Amino acid sequence: MKRTPVLSELSGTIWEISVATGDVVEEGQELLLLESMKMEIPCIAPVSGTVVEIAVAKGDAVTADQPLIWIA
Amino acid sequence: MSFEDKIAELTARREKALAMGPPARHEKRRADGIMNARERIAALIDADSFAEWGLLAVSIRPEDHDRSAGDGYVSGTATVDGRDVVIHAADFTTLGASTSTIGDKKFHHAKNNAAKNGVPLVLLNECAGSRIPDIMGAQGLHRAGEHSELWRDRSSPWAAAILGLTYGDGSFYAAMSDFVVMRKGAVMAVSSEHVTAVALAETNDPRDFGGWEVQSGVTGLVDRVVDTEEQALAEIRRFLSYMPSHSQELPPRIAPGEPGGDAEKLLTLLPENPKRAYDVRKIVEVLFDKGTVFPLKERFAQTAFTALARLEGEVVGVIAINPMFKAGALDADACDKIVSFIVLCDSFNIPLITLADTPGFMVGAAGERQKMPGKIMNYLQALGASTMPKLSVIMRKSYGQAHLNMGAGYADEMAAWFTAEVSLMGREPAMNVLHRMRSGDTPEQYAALEAQMARDTSAYALAAPFMAQTVIDPRETRDWLVRMRRLHQRRKTNGIGAHRLSVWPTTY
Repeated sequence: MKRTPVLSELSGTIWEISVATGDVVEEGQELLLLESMKMEIPCIAPVSGTVVEIAVAKGDAVTADQPLIWIA
Repeated sequence: MSFEDKIAELTARREKALAMGPPARHEKRRADGIMNARERIAALIDADSFAEWGLLAVSIRPEDHDRSAGDGYVSGTATVDGRDVVIHAADFTTLGASTSTIGDKKFHHAKNNAAKNGVPLVLLNECAGSRIPDIMGAQGLHRAGEHSELWRDRSSPWAAAILGLTYGDGSFYAAMSDFVVMRKGAVMAVSSEHVTAVALAETNDPRDFGGWEVQSGVTGLVDRVVDTEEQALAEIRRFLSYMPSHSQELPPRIAPGEPGGDAEKLLTLLPENPKRAYDVRKIVEVLFDKGTVFPLKERFAQTAFTALARLEGEVVGVIAINPMFKAGALDADACDKIVSFIVLCDSFNIPLITLADTPGFMVGAAGERQKMPGKIMNYLQALGASTMPKLSVIMRKSYGQAHLNMGAGYADEMAAWFTAEVSLMGREPAMNVLHRMRSGDTPEQYAALEAQMARDTSAYALAAPFMAQTVIDPRETRDWLVRMRRLHQRRKTNGIGAHRLSVWPTTY
């Protein structure tokens, strides 16, 4: 099964995660909020599928292009 | 030879040239749903308006005379929506529309005719690259640069379509254009995979290195991407509809249109929470005439949304910062994209409207490696040297150096929405830098110090010393833009700018 990563657009902090492993998500759905540049930036599902892995936790510092969530 | 024989000879020569390359190549294209050069021209122009030159031109090499109709190009003048244009279209069925001495001579004839007469140049491109053996050897290569100047001064607009495998000059001339549309499946690159395989031992599919995803999303060389040939030609017509025929003329006016949406919607499109992102494209749609927003380079550097549009029927250029992408932080690509757009507007007398909501230029290691200080100053230099009217709206955040680049000191008029927040940086980072405090530390002291900064960053703080000319409710924006654009018409020069950027580079 092809796993698609949801990448962080910017360096920042995970502000809020609105899905859990096993959730079925639609393309375009908001998965988590990243706080960066003093803004809450929504991370959007690039594809429809099931959340198979959440690689970060609330409060984690992340860098640009880091995989945050995997969808399959 | 009788006249009858002469007529028969002319007819026969014309028919042979009009047939272009070998029938098998035409059949293959038809099967693939790809038009030939003449079909493309017919689909682009007003019916029966084409007057061709160079139909009977052929290769400079006698041994190729019989198989080099037009030397690979169909070139001439026609009307598009009633206005004169010059068209130079690649005939890929004839020696791959490869660059050759006579074909290139026809290109320069087209280019010079467009410049001398102040009409747009349309390039319908495919190109196998330089023709071998014509361009081989010291003389073959040097001749390619000898017979004319390659630069342009943007005295008239250029629009190019990338419609197939396009290497060498086909890509170069597109890169020199003001507008490039690409059909999915086509390729725009310097060299084909055959050349890169030999030169670099790279064995890539050309669509990987020069396909639409790369050229519209990574490099920004391509402005619009389409699925079909017909759509590509329609995009060229649409681009030209916003352009004057030349730089000493105003863009064409049309009857005033309805607003794109109800102004009331602006108060829901803009979130009340100042930290929440939104898609500025929806705001742009509401502010300008319905159905007239024409984005350029929409897939590239998406923080900066750039579009041609109409405001009560008049052409305007719009730069809107989109907090949906990278929180609205402007990176090096966004600067390049904005410079390219300012140059376009300055060259063709298009008033500029900027809509700001940005936390600033992107800071950090990645930006510095892309020479951010230089990019920021190129952008400011373009803004300062350009002479078209400029209207600036501060929608929400306008932080740091980016506030200057979004119009401070350069805009003819500046309006701040009541949500505007202008400062060197956001309150929280400022608290951290200045007082080494984060929210949560000694809350009372934090709140007192933060409140002081909050007062100083408001729209009213900008309006009091007449730095912004007005503070407005977002719902008043269109009316304000209409009134200010109507005033700022530079009547003494008939709205024609100084075009100081007309010889700036054609890509960034």
